[in-house]
Parts: sequence; structure tokens; C-alpha cells
Amino acid sequence: MKQSLQLKVNGQLHTLEVDPWRLLLDVLRDDLGLMGAKRGCGEGYCGCCTVILDGTSVHACCVLALRAAGREITTIEGLAVEGKLDPLQEAFVARGASQCGYCTPGMILSAKALLVTNPDPTEEEVKIALAGNLCRCTGYVKIVEAVLSAASNARERGL
Amino acid sequence: MASNSLVGKPFPMVDGVEKVTGRKVFGTDMSVPGMLHGKILRSPYAHARIIRVDASEAKRMPNVYAVITADDLPAKRVGGALRDEWVLARDKVRFIGEPVAAVAAGDEPTAEAALRAIRVEYEELPAVFSIEESLKPDAPLVHEELGSYEPSPYIFRFMRPTAGTNIATHIKIRKGDTEKALLEAEWAYEDTFYYPRAHHCYMEPHAVLAHATEDKVLLWTNGQGTFEVRAHVADFFDLPQQKIRVMNTGIGGGFGGKITPKLEPIAMALSRCSGRPVKITFTRQEEFAAIGGQHAARVKIKSAGRRDGTIVARVMEVTWDAGAAADRGVSVALLSGAVGASGPYQIPNLKVDSYLVYTNSVNPCAFRGMGMQQVCWAVESQMDIIAERLGMDAVAFRMKNAIEEHSRSATGEVLRSVNVKECLAKLAEAIEWDKQPQEPNRGKGIAIWHKFSAPASSSAAVAKMNGDGTVTVLTGASEIGQGSTTVLAQIAGEELGVRLEDVTVVSADTEVTPFDHGTYSSRVTHHAGNAVRLAAIDAREQLLNIAAELLAQHGAAADQLEIRDRRVCLKGKPGVSLPLAEVTLASQSRVGLPVIGRGGFRGAGRYQLDPETGQSDVPAASEWIYVAQGAEVEVDPETGKVKVLRLVGAYDCGKAINPLLVHGQIEGSLMMGLGSTLYEKVELDNGQVMNPSFMDYLIPTVLESPPMEVFVLEGKPHELGPYGAKGIGEAGIVAVAAAVGNALYRAAGVRIKELPLTGNRVLEALEEQRQFQLQQGGSREKFEGPRI
Repeated sequence: MKQSLQLKVNGQLHTLEVDPWRLLLDVLRDDLGLMGAKRGCGEGYCGCCTVILDGTSVHACCVLALRAAGREITTIEGLAVEGKLDPLQEAFVARGASQCGYCTPGMILSAKALLVTNPDPTEEEVKIALAGNLCRCTGYVKIVEAVLSAASNARERGL
Repeated sequence: MASNSLVGKPFPMVDGVEKVTGRKVFGTDMSVPGMLHGKILRSPYAHARIIRVDASEAKRMPNVYAVITADDLPAKRVGGALRDEWVLARDKVRFIGEPVAAVAAGDEPTAEAALRAIRVEYEELPAVFSIEESLKPDAPLVHEELGSYEPSPYIFRFMRPTAGTNIATHIKIRKGDTEKALLEAEWAYEDTFYYPRAHHCYMEPHAVLAHATEDKVLLWTNGQGTFEVRAHVADFFDLPQQKIRVMNTGIGGGFGGKITPKLEPIAMALSRCSGRPVKITFTRQEEFAAIGGQHAARVKIKSAGRRDGTIVARVMEVTWDAGAAADRGVSVALLSGAVGASGPYQIPNLKVDSYLVYTNSVNPCAFRGMGMQQVCWAVESQMDIIAERLGMDAVAFRMKNAIEEHSRSATGEVLRSVNVKECLAKLAEAIEWDKQPQEPNRGKGIAIWHKFSAPASSSAAVAKMNGDGTVTVLTGASEIGQGSTTVLAQIAGEELGVRLEDVTVVSADTEVTPFDHGTYSSRVTHHAGNAVRLAAIDAREQLLNIAAELLAQHGAAADQLEIRDRRVCLKGKPGVSLPLAEVTLASQSRVGLPVIGRGGFRGAGRYQLDPETGQSDVPAASEWIYVAQGAEVEVDPETGKVKVLRLVGAYDCGKAINPLLVHGQIEGSLMMGLGSTLYEKVELDNGQVMNPSFMDYLIPTVLESPPMEVFVLEGKPHELGPYGAKGIGEAGIVAVAAAVGNALYRAAGVRIKELPLTGNRVLEALEEQRQFQLQQGGSREKFEGPRI
């Protein structure tokens, strides 16, 4: 039986009726039209569906939608503020850290969750934060470079 | 090139912002009103006769709109090279995972329930699960009617199946007199190497949306070749090609795994049957069940030569596990197993036999590197083994035998744009080859190789000028994440004297864009790049003719004009110019005609080798690129774990049109190669994939990514390449395994001939070495293999 659910996504409140078995990923994509979180495996290993839930990056394919009730959810669509790209997004473009782009939203959100709590991470800390996000295109070199450069840019700009 | 040149600059991808904001629409994101969800019923048996399929219960289920089996489809075999596959199995199944039936329902759970309601009765048959079993004289046949199969009409007509066997094709190279050379040689060594199956593991699964009506079939696909899909489904359903429109969605990686049309005919049949749009998306598990990854290979190699290090003969037998269908394995067996197998070396006497052999398993297909990493692993490991025995330095031994400009290839082609020696010299310098690490358990290793781009393929392009002086470029090539959209925009902008942001590239829509063979074999920059360049030049000539009329009062002739930064200028007279937009606007209303440039390019090479000798008077490849790969590793003697401390390499691409993207291609390709080297293997147990998920099949994460030092060499532009460019997408993957294996030998003294180099395997080799040294008092003799 459907249950009522209030989801706060990117600062916007949504009231929905959902079946209790539905996953956060599917509700975001199918009910709210937020297609930035991708399904790469549906089993919680690839990280393409990563979103930020109360400050922590999670695999949205492994979270029941009802478990996200009342919590702060950030998806890739919520990262740019008033059309201005987040320093991570800028760096991913400029550094060539995105090739096919399928892992990119999840990768950026895992990096974002890191930088919010640790604005000056070491390379090792970046790698540990991104270890749950697979990428088959880049070899990760430019991804790590992009995160470190975004962190340094954000610090310089006092973001 | 001019200072405002677009070619050679490291532009970020033009669709980068779409990707980092999540706005890019991929195949898995597609949906249209009224869309149904398709699912495929797959065989649980590796080899079985189909006695009966009863779909009546599934057809009666509510919310189920179509249920199809082989009886609902044309009785026609399909296939990438040889028509040896059914879209849905007919009479028998040949691998676990073979599609047997398909359904379309209003939602996925209903579609899955409908699959469970289909009853299939099978009678199991004896099966073959390895190339060794498959080649036995009394082996069960995967394809009893092999002798009567036809080659498929698209792309390949190059097949030589042996009726009454499991041999899908056998390619031969015969050059010089190997028997005589072996008798006269001062040394000869023989080794056998194994390379396992790996899976592409693109992050986005296959997804196809089909909407078939009486008038038109619309197919949205995240496949790598829209024109191949169109030809394939038109042929299968016996429809005129103009009735089918195949469009690319965003593509989340391909690496060869999304070339062969697998889903499109099934989705289309379900849509025809239901009258509704039908979408099929693979689950990750299905990716492993339906797509066989890269061909496992057994490579036997015998090399012979003189004491001064000259190689005089090489004899190779390369056997590829085709799985249950030949598919692009034909190309692997031909181009990697035969044409390129013996490596970038001048060897006067060659005998190579390449066999593509059927087994009862899901068939591998095209895979980045296209078989080259398998043969490189064998040849370049053996090169180090031999160098050590001859007491020669590994670099010097390769330098002595490597090809040069105008050397002849294994098939007799006179090679041009060859710089493998330059790559090797650059690598030796960059990795400091003269200094092996002093720390215990560390070593450096090197390998060189070459990679073809497939012959006989073509691209066409159109460059349409818009009224405001901007450009719309139409290309049939697929953007799969490699950055072709950006590179093609750079090329068009370069020739038309406009800025990068003035160019829009429209890709891969069979109703809109001109023909292209598709995105495979590192062919797009070279082929589609040439086509776009020629289209832009054609448009430019038209523009300058119009501009000459507009500037008639200055006495300007078209050949005295040029376009620079959005203005048409009279050469040598900076005062005389007019905005490009004025020219394009005039072309629409007052002078000349709206400007549409067109260009086309067919790459060099043909599939035309002598069947007995493999020799040919035409090139066997469009172009060759060269690679020198180095690796430095550390081995943990307690766990056997191999840690790659750094990868260093020099790669030749003729001309890097976009150095940022070239580096990205090389780094990604290196990591993929490192995956097969250290971690990845599709585990098959009697034809069943045992590790069909990212939990069990481990691809490298960021934690496994070593520092990479990439050197791109541009010293030998290709005479046919746009600005001299050759394809670079596969340069990184081909030589990693051999370089790491050779580094491991220097680090720990163990020579392992089968990948992946897992901790267990290394530990076993170390233990074997320890036992041997206890008996022999420290000698490494045993690990050098037999002398013939």
C-alpha cells in the first residue's frame, strides 16, 4: 500500500505517495524527473547513483525512498547555484575528468560530500572518498586532479 | 598553423557542462509516452535442443502486451561477420544467456513475471567449454551447419569457416622460409601464454527504445554504430533502410561492447507486436550474460635468431575462444591474431596461424585493443625472456629488431609514419631504464607494440553554414565519451576560421547525418576527422566565392581570400574584410546559394589477403600507431600482491588534435589494460559466468590508479591523417600487461605466463621459485623455459 512521503531535494519540498519498496533512485528519476543520478549496476557497487543524504554520499539504489523522509537530499541538479557551476563541476570540465559522463554526477557528489567536511584534502583522502565510485573511461587520473584543483580554487575564493 | 588555430589545443569537451550538471540524456534516461518495458528470457543451458516453448500463459497475463519467440521472427540468421546467430534461439541454444523469448509489459515487475510464466522444454546436449575441448576431433559441434553459413553483408566478407569442426576461421601468414630459418638459427625458444576474458564494464548498460509503426521505425540506441544497426534491422525485417531511423542517445561508454546490434531487433519486434514503444535496458548481470567481453587467447610462440640478437624467424599459433558466435572475433583473429601478431619487428621468416574457435559460452565481441593486448602479452614477455638468455639489454634487443620507416609488415605492406623506435627511446629516457630500482622487490619493465585501425571503412560529413556565420556539422560517427564531438568541432572551426563555440556537431542519426561506419578501432579522428575537414574546406570554398562577389569592388578573387576569426579577409590587405556572417546571410538571400559543404573519406587498407600466405599488395590496416610502455612495480613477498608504482609510456598519434583528450584516452586505456593485467577475469564454469556483478568482477577503483607519465609523440604525421592524426583510443591498453609482467620478473624473478597476475598466482610462483632455489643453490635457470 502506498505511503505518504515528504522528500526535500535540493531545497525543494515534494509530497509524494510511494510504494514502500521503492528505491530513492527510482523516485528521484521516475517521480521527480531528476535524471542526473544514474543506474549503473543497481547493486550499490558502481556509485553512478550517488546522492548526498544529510551530508553523506550514499548509493541511491540502496536506499528505500521512505528512509529519506524529512532528510536533506542533494542531487547533481542542485549543485550549481543560480546557474553558476560548483567549483567541482568547473574543474571536472576544465581538467577532462569526465569522458562518457555516466559516472560523473555520482563522482562529483562523492567529492562534494568530502569537500564540505574536509575542504583541504590530501590526494589519499580524495582517493578514499571516491573509492565507491567506478569509472571505466578516465583511469581516474584527471578525476583526482580535478577534485584537488576544485578544493584549492574553492578555498581561494572563500567558497 | 595560425596562432588562433583550434587544432592542437587542449579544449575541454564541448559537452562537458551537460555531463557535470547531469543534463546529458543517456540511453537509460530515455522514455516516451505509452512506453512498455521489454525483458528477455535467456537460456539456462550451455548447449541444448529446444523441444517446446509454451508462452500461452505469459500472453494471457494482464498488462503484458507482447510475447515473442523465434516463431514470431523472420527465419533468418544474423551475425557481425558470419550469419551464425539467431535473434531468438531456434531449435537449439548454444550458450547460457542466449535469448530464447522476449516480452513487453506495462512495468518491469510484470515483464519479469511474464518471463517466469514462459515454459521452455530443453534436452541438454554435450557441450565444449574450452578451446582445447573444442578442437578435439570428436568434439560436439557448436554449429553443425557451419559449412552452409553465409557471410553477413555488412562490414565483413572475410570468413573462412571449416565445415564439420568448431573452427570459425583460420587465418595464415606465410613469409620467407621458417623451416630453413629455424634449422640455421643459433637459438630458438618456445613459450605459451594465456590471456583471459575480461569484460568491457562500460558504466552505462545497453539501452534501446524502439517505436515501430507502419510508416516508420524509430530506434534510439546507446550503441556505437547507428548505420550498422540500420543495415542490420533493415536486412533482418526486410525493410527499406529509409523506413528506419536509428538515433544515438548519450552513450555511457562502449569500448567495443556496444557495436554489435544485440537489443535492437528484439526491441523492434516487441514494438511491432505490441504497437507501442518498447524500451529494453540490460541489468548489470545481463551485461555479463549477453556480452562476452574480450577474447581469451592461447598464444604459442617460437622465435629463432642469431647470437648478435637478430631475430630471423617467428612461428605463432594463436587460438581465440569465440564463444558461440564469430561476431567481431573474425576481425580479432585476422588483424591481431595474424596481421599484427608478430609485433612491430622486422622478421624475414614468419609462419602464423590464427584460429577462432567456437565454444558453448557467451560470445566475446569487439573490445578496446581488439586482440592486440593478448598477442603483445605473449610476444613482449618472450622478448624479455630471450634478451636475458642472450645477455642483451631489453631495450637494445628490441631496437635491433624493431621496424622503421618503409619496413615491410607481416603482410608485405610498406609501412609509413613509423616511430616505434622513437617511442622506445623516449620511454627508456623517461623511465630511466639504465637505473633499475635498488629497493628490494622492485623492478621496471618495458614492452613495445603497434595497433592497427581497421581497414576499408568510410566516413562522410556535411558542414552547413548558418545565416549568422555559425556552423552545423553532421557526422554519422558516435560520440561514446571519447570526445569526437569536440575534436570534429575543432577541425571544422579550424578550416572555417571560426571559434570553437561557433560549431555545433550533430552525431549519428541515420535520417539526418551522412553515413559513417561507426565508432570502433580508434577510427573516428582519422576517418570522420578527414570527412569533416573536407566538408569544411568545401564550405569554405563556396563562402570565398560568394565573398569574392561581395568584395568585387576591391578586385578580390576567391583564391586571395581567407577566413580568420569570423571574418573574410583579403590576404595581405588587412583593411579589406567583411564579417563571415555577412557572407552567409548573403548566400541565403542575394548572392550564391546557402552554403553546404560535403566531405567523405575512405581509410586505407582492404580485407584482401592471400588465403594461403596472408600476403597482399594493399595495406591490411588503415593506419598503424606505435607504443612503448613501461611499468615500475613492487611485489609484496608475503602476499604476492603486485603494486604498480607508476606507468610510463610514449605513444604515437601522428598529431594530437586535442592533447587533453588524447591524454585522457591513453590514461583510461592504460587503466583498462591494468585491470586485465592484475585483477579482471570473467570466470566461466561450464559456460556459466560465475562473477556477473561489480562485487565479484573487480574493475580498478581510484585506489588502484597508479601515477601515469604519458608522452605523446607527434614526430611522424600520417600522410592521410587530418593534420597528420592517427587514432589513439587503444594505444594505452595494448602493452600494459607485458610491461607489468616484465617488471614483475625483474622485481621478483618469477615469469608468469597467464593473466591476471593475482596475489595467489604470484605467491605460488614465488613458492615454486623458493623450492627450486633450495635445490639449485639460488639459480634462476628453471624460470627461463625450455631451450629447443
